[in-house]
Amino acid sequence: MVGELAGNYSTVVLMFGFAVAAMAPALVISRMLSPRKRSNPVKFLPMECGQVPTGEGRTHFMMQYYAYILMFVIFDVVAIFLYAWGSTILYLPKEATLPIIGFLAIIFAAMAFALYQSGRRDIW
Amino acid sequence: MSVIAPNFKLSEFIKSILDVGFWTLLIFVLIGLPLVFIVLFVIEMPVINGEILTPFLALTWLADPSRILPIVKAFMTTDLFRIAAFPGFGFAALIAASTIFVERKMMAKLQLRVGPFYCGKLEGILQLMGDGLKLISKEIIIPAKADKPIFWAAPVLFVGTAAAFVALIPVAPGWVVADVDVGLLAVFAVIGFFPIITILSAWAANSKFPFIGGIRALFQMVSFEIPLILSFLGVVIVTGTLNLSEIAASQSSFPWIVFFPIGAIIFFITMLAELERIPFDLPEAESEIVAGWLTELSGMLYGLVQFGTYLKLYAFAGLFVVIFLGGWNGPMIVPPFPAEIITEGIQMGPVTAQFPGLPVFTQEMLNGTIWFVIKTVGVIFFIILPRGVFPRIRVDMLLDLGWTKLIGLAFVNIFIALGLLYAGILGPGGLF
Repeated sequence: MVGELAGNYSTVVLMFGFAVAAMAPALVISRMLSPRKRSNPVKFLPMECGQVPTGEGRTHFMMQYYAYILMFVIFDVVAIFLYAWGSTILYLPKEATLPIIGFLAIIFAAMAFALYQSGRRDIW
Repeated sequence: MSVIAPNFKLSEFIKSILDVGFWTLLIFVLIGLPLVFIVLFVIEMPVINGEILTPFLALTWLADPSRILPIVKAFMTTDLFRIAAFPGFGFAALIAASTIFVERKMMAKLQLRVGPFYCGKLEGILQLMGDGLKLISKEIIIPAKADKPIFWAAPVLFVGTAAAFVALIPVAPGWVVADVDVGLLAVFAVIGFFPIITILSAWAANSKFPFIGGIRALFQMVSFEIPLILSFLGVVIVTGTLNLSEIAASQSSFPWIVFFPIGAIIFFITMLAELERIPFDLPEAESEIVAGWLTELSGMLYGLVQFGTYLKLYAFAGLFVVIFLGGWNGPMIVPPFPAEIITEGIQMGPVTAQFPGLPVFTQEMLNGTIWFVIKTVGVIFFIILPRGVFPRIRVDMLLDLGWTKLIGLAFVNIFIALGLLYAGILGPGGLF
């Protein structure tokens, strides 16, 4: 049973594999055709608009939008929960919608609070 | 007097021929024979004209025209054909390639330029091929401190993920690579891989501009994923299924955009953001951060990412068509296959040729494909149009749009769906 269910998805993986197998030769052919001159060390520096780059490439980045990432982790899961309800709503009694409305209200309240907190730049 | 090679020796010549013979025999024994045995005993061969197709019978199609079309049709039902050619990679790659060309010409017309003109006789139609040859012959330069395996793998993974997305899009009734029963959730799962690949590539480059671009891409894709997911919920509520084929088939009388225009608009805006297109092209903002997360990609690596982007564009346009515009449904415009060709064969003067198995594609499949392509091309047109019209927006405007306005509208869309369902307009026992 589980194998059958997973077997439906094998074509997705096969398609992924086919695309990789079809496109990876392009890189190999490119590697064989293209010139490879290693004479110039400046050539392998990271791009910085013609300047000689200073410092590390992986710098610390401002955290002021980090709150949105945290919110995503929560609300992505919540959105998928809504699908479990939405795809079966035709087979549910009408009263079953009321708890979901409550659930949505909780989401709204939580989201409003999170958006307010993410707007406070001073704490991030 | 012709000059044979000056060091010609008959014995060496014979030895080389024997060498070639030996290696041919060895490769045939080690690879060819096991392959024949695998084909004979492992692979299930289709039944053609009442007999199982053995490799011997498969070769007789050269001499027996009555076997050609059944063999071709049997091949078209295999997974390999679906993945490589029609609803899968080949079809999507064709549409993606033509999208690139049409976009360049259209941008040129919008900006009063000519665009690609010289390559190929007709309006620079071979420009794409020329670009491909150029990209494949350019040197791939990777920064010295980059994480090389990940940097090489990321573009290939990008194309592969875009192709996995394409696999879930149904093109015509029954013509879909992966007909999974929770196709919509599978779509979300595949979309979720794109930010990971982007941030991997950006982090591996070990350079400042790709890093900033990668962070921006992460914020953007992540912020717009939730409105994207919620915008389909209205359709799912009234159809009660997550299978994309069933959702497309449920729109035989009217497309869902009639009832869910808000959901369609949300999905369209989030689609632009997920595809990193103007006005949401912050990850590739060429006037601020050189080329965003694509800065250090050169040569064919860049070409692969571009190709993957356009595959993704086709897949998103196809998803819009399947969910909101009715998929393959449309008035029948393909004429039925002439019945006398099936019963009597094609008559040319005194000769009558019978072709068993002749309608290779059914009328429904051809009609569905034509309607799907027409609608998809229309959606692609509206995706590439903003590039010539809109400016780029700021990061905080983008996040504000995604998190407050679009999510709020998505919930409005859900309540519209609930209202339509409980008012008895849609759903079982409804007016339609």
